Amino acid sequence: MSVPINRRTAIRVGTAGMLGGLSLPRLLQMQATAAPDAKVPAKACIFLFLEGGPSTIDMWDLKPDAPVEVRGPYKPIATSVPGTFVGEHLPRCAHVAHKYAILRSHSHDDNGHTTGYHYVMTGYKADFADGTNTRKPNNVLYPSIGSVVSRELGGRGAVPPYVNLPHPLTAGGAGLLGAAHSPFVLEGDPVQPDFEVRDLAPVAGVDARRRTLRGKLLAGLDGEPAAGQAAAMGTYYAKAHDLMTSPAARKAFDLRAEPEKLRAAYGHTTLGQCALLARRLVEAGCRFVGVDHSGWDTHFTCFPSLEKDLIPSVDMAFSALVTDLDDRGLLDSTLVVMMGEMGRTPRVNAQAGRDHWSAAQSVLFAGGGVKPGRVVGATNKAATAPTADPVGVEDILRTLFHQMGIDSSKTYLTPLGRPVSVVNGGRVIRDLVG
Amino acid sequence: MSKPTLALLLTLCVALPPAHAQVVTPPAVRLDSPEASQQLLVTLPAGDGTRSASYEVGDPAVATVDVTGLVTPRAEGRTEVLVRSGAATLRVPVEVAGLKTPRPVSFEQEVVPILTKASCNGGGCHGKAEGQQGFKLSVFGFDPAADHAALVKESRGRRVFPASPANSLLLLKATGQVPHGGGRKVELGGLHYRRLLRWISEGAAAGGSAVSPVAALEVEPVRRTLALGGTQQLRVTAVAADGSRRCVTAEAEYASNAGAIAGADGRGLVTAGQAPGEAAILVRYLGAVTVCRVTLPRPGATVARPDANNFIDGHVWDKLALLGIPASDPADDATFLRRASLDATGTLPTAEEARAFLADASPDRRAKLVDRLLERPEYADYWALKWADVLRVDKDAVTPAGAVAMTRWLRRQVHENRPYDQFARAVVTARGSTSADGPAALFKALDTPEVAARSLSQVFLGVRIECAQCHHHPSERWGQDDYWALAGLFSGVARKPLPGGGESVVWRVGTDLGPPTSKKTVPARPLGAAPAAFAPGDDRRVRLADWMTAPDNPYFATAVANRLWAHYFGRGLVEPVDDLRATNPASNEPLLAALAAHLRALKYDLKAFTKTLLLSRAYQLSSRATPANAGDEQNFSHAAVKPMPAEVLLDAIGRVTGVPEKFNGWPAGYRAIEVWDNRMPSYFFRIFGRPVRYSVCECERGTDPSIAQALHLMNSPEIAGKVQATTGTARRLADSKLTPDAVVEELFLAGLGRRPTPAEAGRLREAFAEGTRQSAAEDVLWAVLNSKEFLYNR
Repeated sequence: MSVPINRRTAIRVGTAGMLGGLSLPRLLQMQATAAPDAKVPAKACIFLFLEGGPSTIDMWDLKPDAPVEVRGPYKPIATSVPGTFVGEHLPRCAHVAHKYAILRSHSHDDNGHTTGYHYVMTGYKADFADGTNTRKPNNVLYPSIGSVVSRELGGRGAVPPYVNLPHPLTAGGAGLLGAAHSPFVLEGDPVQPDFEVRDLAPVAGVDARRRTLRGKLLAGLDGEPAAGQAAAMGTYYAKAHDLMTSPAARKAFDLRAEPEKLRAAYGHTTLGQCALLARRLVEAGCRFVGVDHSGWDTHFTCFPSLEKDLIPSVDMAFSALVTDLDDRGLLDSTLVVMMGEMGRTPRVNAQAGRDHWSAAQSVLFAGGGVKPGRVVGATNKAATAPTADPVGVEDILRTLFHQMGIDSSKTYLTPLGRPVSVVNGGRVIRDLVG
Repeated sequence: MSKPTLALLLTLCVALPPAHAQVVTPPAVRLDSPEASQQLLVTLPAGDGTRSASYEVGDPAVATVDVTGLVTPRAEGRTEVLVRSGAATLRVPVEVAGLKTPRPVSFEQEVVPILTKASCNGGGCHGKAEGQQGFKLSVFGFDPAADHAALVKESRGRRVFPASPANSLLLLKATGQVPHGGGRKVELGGLHYRRLLRWISEGAAAGGSAVSPVAALEVEPVRRTLALGGTQQLRVTAVAADGSRRCVTAEAEYASNAGAIAGADGRGLVTAGQAPGEAAILVRYLGAVTVCRVTLPRPGATVARPDANNFIDGHVWDKLALLGIPASDPADDATFLRRASLDATGTLPTAEEARAFLADASPDRRAKLVDRLLERPEYADYWALKWADVLRVDKDAVTPAGAVAMTRWLRRQVHENRPYDQFARAVVTARGSTSADGPAALFKALDTPEVAARSLSQVFLGVRIECAQCHHHPSERWGQDDYWALAGLFSGVARKPLPGGGESVVWRVGTDLGPPTSKKTVPARPLGAAPAAFAPGDDRRVRLADWMTAPDNPYFATAVANRLWAHYFGRGLVEPVDDLRATNPASNEPLLAALAAHLRALKYDLKAFTKTLLLSRAYQLSSRATPANAGDEQNFSHAAVKPMPAEVLLDAIGRVTGVPEKFNGWPAGYRAIEVWDNRMPSYFFRIFGRPVRYSVCECERGTDPSIAQALHLMNSPEIAGKVQATTGTARRLADSKLTPDAVVEELFLAGLGRRPTPAEAGRLREAFAEGTRQSAAEDVLWAVLNSKEFLYNR
């Protein structure tokens, strides 16, 4: 745990916090990390992960001149940026193309899902076989991007620094950084009308009076061990208690506070409402929100689900998010990244689907110092590979950390004592962020 | 000691009466190469005087000496160093030779160590797999041939430039004369600079003169007690295989295992911090390692020596006396019951058990309790779980059938108290069906000779040899040969399909293995042992098992003694528990040695050994620290407050609420510590750090607290459901005829194993004044459940 308050303070906080004596903002103020660097553009990052591998050839990198089995059924449409075209099912994104950048030259060589999640989320190749361990952190050694951000930047508000929506990212765990930097996971789908954050709402049958009484009873026990992790646990109890009771924290999770018009603009989909919630969390001080959006592994008859479900949900959520952030003056300080673990095969297969294709994927970036309206890189005519300068996972992560003011060369020690750097190589994508 | 030296010392003593109390070593200095150096050490009665002495050379044209007492050559000849310390002046003769026609620099022995010392070849810099900015060195210099090529041949030869050595990029970068991302690593004109310069001007040869390899490293002093804030200059001497010796103090690397207690700088100056304790200063030079131990007693402290229950206490008290740290008071019976039950069986004692134990006045009640605990089925369940964690009982790796087979087998070994040496032998040499009751499925998880070798070495020997797969272990004697020799012992392990499905682990033909980067193989042998002759069909693992379990094996008994100690005392004598090496010394070495000897004398009877641990007074100390021992984290002056493993905590919650967890698809009554399915989805297990058994490291089990844990315990519907259940403890007590005080007492006994103090009883009684009996019982139960006293094993 990296809270620079001594053990004795932690104990005091532990009990006083239960009684509402020391609020979370105070506590977080005490653990304030290094003074913010004015030159660091991004204070927070929203990472939209399109799990399964988005068909970006049908979205951001169309090939209208390619043979029909490659170009697919969709037509390109013009965008707000002259000369930039996107797929016809992305009209809203086309309208705000001047607010984000498209990187068309992302490429890597891991064509599996779970190994791909691991690679994208940690920057390191997995050492296990593909196909296992979905929906629980499998990055037992290397920390995920969000955990690094949590570790390096810490909290700055009423909500935890690293959050996963709506469930854990498969490789979103803290690895060697430990539970303190694990994501706070919603474990609930914000599109559901009865949505509540797991373990945050008051328990049925226990009213405010009893909650106060319970806090008092707990403080009335004498045998509290005052050492080691038990003392640290006291600090987390205080944080958890504040999360439950601080109006700012409760408000951050309360989507009902948003006008219906805006909720509708994000789309009444899991991705849309998660994106909206991500914006609220960033406003409340969250550093890294990882949104997991599944269903992109479209091997069979892909076009109906792409055009009816997947692409429209992205179209609404992404366009609404960048517009909303911009309207609130938050886009400059919030980096938005949208990608999956791979792209899809340019050639449509015999089942009218597209298969895994990690050799080419388009990735969207917005805010946080990204040059808006840009298109960076290109793929060849057949969309099989970048024409030049492929951008790897390490480059993307290095750029992300760079924009957040985190030194990617910094090393952590593994349990065996081996230093591993935050990102293994890579370079900042200068065409993207200047 | 040679005669002239002795005579010199005698002369000094006689000539300078006060000087009998101070000694300068070595008595004479001989420097035989342009970059040789010799560290002088001045020892005063009160400690190190090296940095407080002043130095002067008789003939500055022949040699120089700096303020740290380092003598370096200038020209061939003889002179002396005058050492002034206090009122005394001592003289050390100096002879300089070998400068006119110096022996050519040896790349491997004299250049590579500079790159290592300057951390050029570290894992965070040019030593990384992909190098740094196009310049790649082998990590820690394990591959001198590749490093030579990188320096001399790559980058169009710009890195070294024999025609104008000082303009070599290597020197310009290293000294920061041209921009260097790593900063200035070598001092311009310093000893390292001059040697690199000479190596380049000699033609940057790969070989250079033959220097006998370093066989051992000596550090002086080997052990030192320092006052808070005190200092000690170290001297390091490399002893070559041919017996020659040279001072490498200025070239060795230094690292402390406890920087807050005492640290060491690059010149080998140890500086004590402001907290009492112990530190080991690791000294490394060219693959050889040694350690200097530094002790900082608490100033002005004399501590009372408690009684001893057995040999463990003697060793613990010895250490505490040395450091001036008092031991805490003994824990009361209630604490002992809860601690021993959770530690040995992973199970919370019931209120009835607590009441009965607290009523027992017999003098041997604690010993009887330990005997009972070790015979409980939960003891076998819990230790099967512990071993399953490190023996990779991962459903995804060994198949569900394999996981069941291994769990059952492990449980039976613990239950029958199979001697640990036999247990280890059975694991290492496992064969047969991977789904039959036995450990064979382990070799599905350890599916290559390398993985098997390094995993089992870590589990059973506490030797983490993984580093040596690719490079010499940075802080151990083990090199790649040792690694591949060990792997060769597993080279014949194979799995063959069984008719009707399943697999069988068999031994086919053993072969010697070697690193993929070279064509040569290494004869198979255990770590540090002589190679044995194997017939092709011999199961080489038998040789490993014989060696491991032999009475003189230095690791085997020590490793398991330390592992068990760590479990019961909350911290290993060696930490991490499976990392035994000379450079990571135990916090109490005599104790660890005595424990290992005791275990061997018990013929590896783990139950008897456990009983010895639990009956020691040290184990039975209170976890409540005193002001004088609160800072002690490694000498066992007070008991540790231990986090509960996820499974143990979930079972404890089930027990105290009266509503055991029901696992989906498992029969009712199965407890979390019995569940073999490590991949079973469970929010509780996930947030409380249940390991996925991805490695053999105990460190994989997460013990850190988090917000999610606190929220879940305080506010989750799952826990609330147990607290409020109609079949639960709170409802049972609310519906009973017990008085409020009796209800509170019952909940304390169930959750904390103790009765409330009168003050606590008074405060908790208020719950009944404010609400119904039902709500009051629930609220008190909630408070007990959420207390750190409940959540942790103190």
